[in-house]
Amino acid sequence: MVIKNLKNYIDGEWVESQSKELLEVRNPATDEVIAHVPLSTVEEVGETARAAQEAFQDWRETTPYARARYMFRLKNLMEERFEDLAQIIVREHGKILDEARGEVRRGIENVEVAAGVPSLMMGYNMEDVSQGIDEDCVYQPVGVFCCVTPFNFPNMVPLWFLPYAVACGNTYIVKPSELCPMSQNILFELFDEADFPPGVVNLVHGDKRAVDALLDHPDVRGFSFVGSTPVGKYIYTRAAANGKRAQCQTGAKNCLVVMPDAVLDKTVPSIMSSAFGTAGQRCLAGALVIAVGDVYESLKDKLLESAARIKVGDGLDEAVQMGPVVSQKSLDRILGYVEKGIEEGATLLLDGRDIQVEGYPNGYFIGPTIFTDVTSDMVIAREEIFGPVLGVIRVDDFDEALNVIHDSPYGNAASLFTSSGKWAREFKYRVQAGNLGINIGIAAPIASFPFSGMKDSFFGDLHGQGRDAIEFFTDRKVVISRWF
Amino acid sequence: MDLATFGAIMSFGLELEQQAAAFYEIAARGALEESFANLAKSAHKRAVRMERTRREGIAEMILEPITGMDGDDYHLELMPDADEAELLRQAIALEETTRRFYIDAAGKIPVREVVRTCIRMAKQSEKRRAELEKLQS
Repeated sequence: MVIKNLKNYIDGEWVESQSKELLEVRNPATDEVIAHVPLSTVEEVGETARAAQEAFQDWRETTPYARARYMFRLKNLMEERFEDLAQIIVREHGKILDEARGEVRRGIENVEVAAGVPSLMMGYNMEDVSQGIDEDCVYQPVGVFCCVTPFNFPNMVPLWFLPYAVACGNTYIVKPSELCPMSQNILFELFDEADFPPGVVNLVHGDKRAVDALLDHPDVRGFSFVGSTPVGKYIYTRAAANGKRAQCQTGAKNCLVVMPDAVLDKTVPSIMSSAFGTAGQRCLAGALVIAVGDVYESLKDKLLESAARIKVGDGLDEAVQMGPVVSQKSLDRILGYVEKGIEEGATLLLDGRDIQVEGYPNGYFIGPTIFTDVTSDMVIAREEIFGPVLGVIRVDDFDEALNVIHDSPYGNAASLFTSSGKWAREFKYRVQAGNLGINIGIAAPIASFPFSGMKDSFFGDLHGQGRDAIEFFTDRKVVISRWF
Repeated sequence: MDLATFGAIMSFGLELEQQAAAFYEIAARGALEESFANLAKSAHKRAVRMERTRREGIAEMILEPITGMDGDDYHLELMPDADEAELLRQAIALEETTRRFYIDAAGKIPVREVVRTCIRMAKQSEKRRAELEKLQS
């Protein structure tokens, strides 16, 4: 099999990077090399930013209706290539086909929402703000934006931003994860087929040097980032220092609170999906179950029974319910956390470390793993493991559960399982986290809503998706006029 | 074969339709030619519907493990080179099996559009079975 070097897409052309530095992209189920990704040079990043800047003026003068039509074309092409898009996610990331299809679907939904730009971008006005004077607020595009995106949703996350930015009249640069860069190359084949004008959408592969070059480039006006908290803080700080707007969605340690009145038969499958879906590598993954009062024992038994049944294997096999983690390095890190949990005195209720997947001896597999007797001061309760490791904490009451959540520096997501409207209301009102689930394990906002986040899980003010995205990718200009 | 994911169930339904289309196409001859040719055409359309439903009906928020469905319960032995009486018997069994599959699937997937599709497919299979039974008598 010929292993391809992935190309950049700059100014409407596929371009081979001149960089001598290439990284291997591996299939996590087999450990086979499936592509090479270049670490583009600072000069190549500069060319990309210049191309995007040069395309901006013409693109912003294109009517919103015409820009929306590009979105319709892109949507149709994504539907046509739906299975290809999903399968490449599985091959480079490892998640199961259902999850990959769900990811592509959510990406398409963002394109669909962005296609509403002729309505979404409308401003507002008022007559007679003073005698004979009218005031108008118009939304205008800003210029070149870019995103730096993570490995865990290699197709979808750029689509939280790019469709809105471009539909609003900006031009765009995607810098995908080096671990899972192939999904964006396929998506950019579709941008090319949809015939976006040269320079409107651009793809540049690379590492921190590419990111720094974008952060420092005078033509880049704004940054979107999804990834870890330390990197998000770094990007937010450096973007702000360079006068750029930024939105950085970062780490998480999400809690799933189970009240004594929860409907356990429905709650447990939801927890399974939350904790072990995408092998725990979602920023919305439930990492800690907080069992309130006497639900602990029965919940523990049901979690064990259900998690032990999860079939682990190659995500391309539709019978499989959980795939491998993304890399050997991730696997080693997760195994380190399991060791740490044992050292700290948590009880290893279900040990996924020794799992063998027939026919896949080299895959980065770890089975569902559950710790009980976890306390909120343990490392496994405080740090983001980003793997299929679930901790169970026992607390006496609702307030203690909230204290555990609020002790964490993160505020990405939290869920409550209950039959009580009172507790649900209290939870919605009091919890300091951006994405809340009530009897939902994965509180993933759909495209018309902002993907929220608080505390160390988000740096910025406007989030990805929906109306927030329209605000982020535009300036408001106010015109006050009087005619004599 | 466990059908333990949304994709496994939907893909199984898609394969059932493709299997049905292939069977009806080959078996369309003699007195059964017209009716089987129509059933083959319809099975192709149903396969497209299943593919579209698998693509559009996926809901990441509720991708929870599914239990209690096994592909072996809907196994079909189809021999399109049999005589007409046997072909009719197989076609009736095929429609009954697909009907049962879609009823079971509808009970496992908590997504309104998918349930609607499954129920629609089951009703169609039931109607087709009844029409085939008329031909038998």
